[in-house]
Amino acid sequence: MISKFQIAAKNLLRKRVRTFLTLVGIVLSSWVLVSLLGFNRGYEQALNRDIDNMGYQIMVMAKGCPYEAATMMLQGGAGLRYIEEDVAKSITEKPGVDKVTPILMQAFFDPNKGDGGGIAGYYGIDIATFPEMKPFLRFHKGGWFHDPSADEAVLGYEAAELEQREVGDMILVPEKNVPLKVVGILTRTGTQDDGTIFVPLKTLQRISGLDKITTIGIKVRKDADIAKLETALYQLPDMQVVSFSQVKQTIMKLIATARVMVLSIAVIALLIAMVGVVNTVLMSVLERKHEIGILKTMGAMPGDIFRLIWTETLLLCTCGGIVGIGLALGLARLSGLLVRRVLPYAPGGELVAIDLRLSSLTLLIIIVVGLLSGVYPAWKAGRIRPLDSIRGDG
Amino acid sequence: MTTVATRRPCLLGLKALLLLPLAAITAPLSAAISCELNYPAADVARLFPESTRFKAVYFSFAGRGGDPLLRKVEARLGGMPALYAPLDVPYVVYEIYKGDELIGYVHGVNQKGQFGVLEVFVSLNLEGRIKAFYLQRIAGQWANKFTARKFGQQFVGLTLKDFGPYNLLTGKGTGKVASITNPAPEAVTDFFGLLRAVNKNLILMDEFFYSVAKNKP
Repeated sequence: MISKFQIAAKNLLRKRVRTFLTLVGIVLSSWVLVSLLGFNRGYEQALNRDIDNMGYQIMVMAKGCPYEAATMMLQGGAGLRYIEEDVAKSITEKPGVDKVTPILMQAFFDPNKGDGGGIAGYYGIDIATFPEMKPFLRFHKGGWFHDPSADEAVLGYEAAELEQREVGDMILVPEKNVPLKVVGILTRTGTQDDGTIFVPLKTLQRISGLDKITTIGIKVRKDADIAKLETALYQLPDMQVVSFSQVKQTIMKLIATARVMVLSIAVIALLIAMVGVVNTVLMSVLERKHEIGILKTMGAMPGDIFRLIWTETLLLCTCGGIVGIGLALGLARLSGLLVRRVLPYAPGGELVAIDLRLSSLTLLIIIVVGLLSGVYPAWKAGRIRPLDSIRGDG
Repeated sequence: MTTVATRRPCLLGLKALLLLPLAAITAPLSAAISCELNYPAADVARLFPESTRFKAVYFSFAGRGGDPLLRKVEARLGGMPALYAPLDVPYVVYEIYKGDELIGYVHGVNQKGQFGVLEVFVSLNLEGRIKAFYLQRIAGQWANKFTARKFGQQFVGLTLKDFGPYNLLTGKGTGKVASITNPAPEAVTDFFGLLRAVNKNLILMDEFFYSVAKNKP
C-alpha cells in the first residue's frame, strides 16, 4: 500500500520547477541561519581560546599605557611609562592571585627596515614565571633561554619564518646593535605569540638601560572572585587594570549590533522561505481541489487530508533544511574567511563552529516553522467540500 | 597622556580598542606572500621612473609547475641555502607599464642574512637586464653600506648570464659579478647573501616570465 509520504512526494514532483524553487529558498535560509548560529558560537569560542592562550586573565600597567603603547609603535618608544618590578611582588601576595609574571615591552627604531625605517618590537619575559603561565607553548626547535640574563631570543614561528632565522642564528637589536642568539623557535599557535620575539627580561632591561617593566600579567586562581581582585588592584596607585573578561565583554558588545542585524536578516530570509512554502502548498491544494473532493467522497476525513498536505510541507522543509545545513557545514571555512574580512577584529581559529547539536537544532527550527506555515494550506484542504469541488465551482 | 582608573562601562570599549594596537605590537607578521614592496606606488615610481602604472601579479610553484619546477629551480641555484617558501606560497611580481605597454618588471626575494632576512628587489627590462637594485630590508651595523646607491649601482646592467662564470658558494670566478666589491668586509654572510638573492631573483623571473615569453608561439 502506498504511504502518505509517497503520495506527498509524488504530488511535489508533479510541479518540479515550483518545488525546486521553493526548496532553493529553504536551502538558502537554512544555510544562512545555521551559519549565523555557528558564527555566534564560534566567535565566542575563538575569543575565549585567544584569551585563555594569553595565559593570564588580568593585566596591570601604568596609567595611560595603552595610549603610549600605540605611540610606541609609531614613534619608537618615546615617553613610555614604566612600573617598578616590586609592584609585581606585591600583587603576588593578594588573595586570589595564582601566578604573576613581569613583562617589559620595548620597541626600537630600525632605520634599515624599508624606506624611512620601521619599528621592531621585543617582549622581555621572566623565564621563571612566563613559561609556567603558557604551558601550551611548544617548541618547533630548541627551547627557552639558558640563563635569565643571557643574550638569547626565542622567536614565534612567523617571526622566525619572516626573518629566516633558525636555532643558532643571530638577530640584532636595532638602535642598540646588540646581537642575540636564537635558542628556540615556537610552533605555530595562531595567536600573537607567532609574531613575537621573546628576550629574557633582564637582558631587555640591560639593553634598554632601565630596571623597570611595562606590564604585569596575573593568572587568577580558579576559585577566586575576579571582580574582588580587580577592585583590590584598582587601589594600586597610578595603575591601570585590564581584565580580559572585560575586554571580551567589550568586543562582544562591539560586534553585538552586527550580530543582531545579521540574525534579523536570517530570520527575514527564513520567513520569506516559509511564505514560499505556504504559496507552493496552497497552489498545489487549489490545483488539486477536484482530486481532494474525490478522496473525501471515498471516505477520507478532513484530518486525513490535513495530514497529507502537512506531510508535503514536512518533506519540503526537511529536504531543504538538510541540504542547507550540509552546505553550511561544507562552506563553514569559507564563511569564516568572509566574516574575518568584514569584522574589524576577529580572534584566531575557526569563526563558524557548526556541530551536530547546532545542525539538529536548526533543522528542528526549520521543520517547526515550516509545519506552522503548512497549517493554513492543510486546513484549507481539509475544509474542501466534496460536492463543490467535484462540481468545480469552488 | 594618562587615563583615570575607573570601572565605568563606557570606558571599557575604549580600553579594548586601545589594547588592540598593544596586541598588534606582537601580532603575527604577515608571511603569506614571499616578498612584497612596502610602498609599491612610491617604490615602483623610484625604481622605474618612466612607468605610468603597475600591476601586481601573484604566482606560485604550485600554480605553475608544482614540485618538479621547484626541484628544477633549486638545482639551478646549485644547492645554495635558499630557505624556500612552501610550494603554495605566492610570489609577487610587479608588471610595469608605460601607458598600455609593458616595459619591465620589479621583483623581490627573501634571502637569509647574517642578522635577519634580506629583502632584495631588482627592476628588470623586458630582456631581463637589471635596471635598478633595491635592498628593502637588512639588519646590521653595516646595513647603510649595502643600501648605499654606490653598492646598488654595481648590479645595474647585469643579466642572469653574468652569474654563470661566478661560483656563489665559493666566491670564486670571473666576469661582472666577480668584480662587485663588498663594501663591508666584516659582513661576508650578507654580501654573499645579496649576490645569491639577486641570482635567485633572476632565476625565478627566468622560469616564471622570460622563459614563458620565449616559448610562446
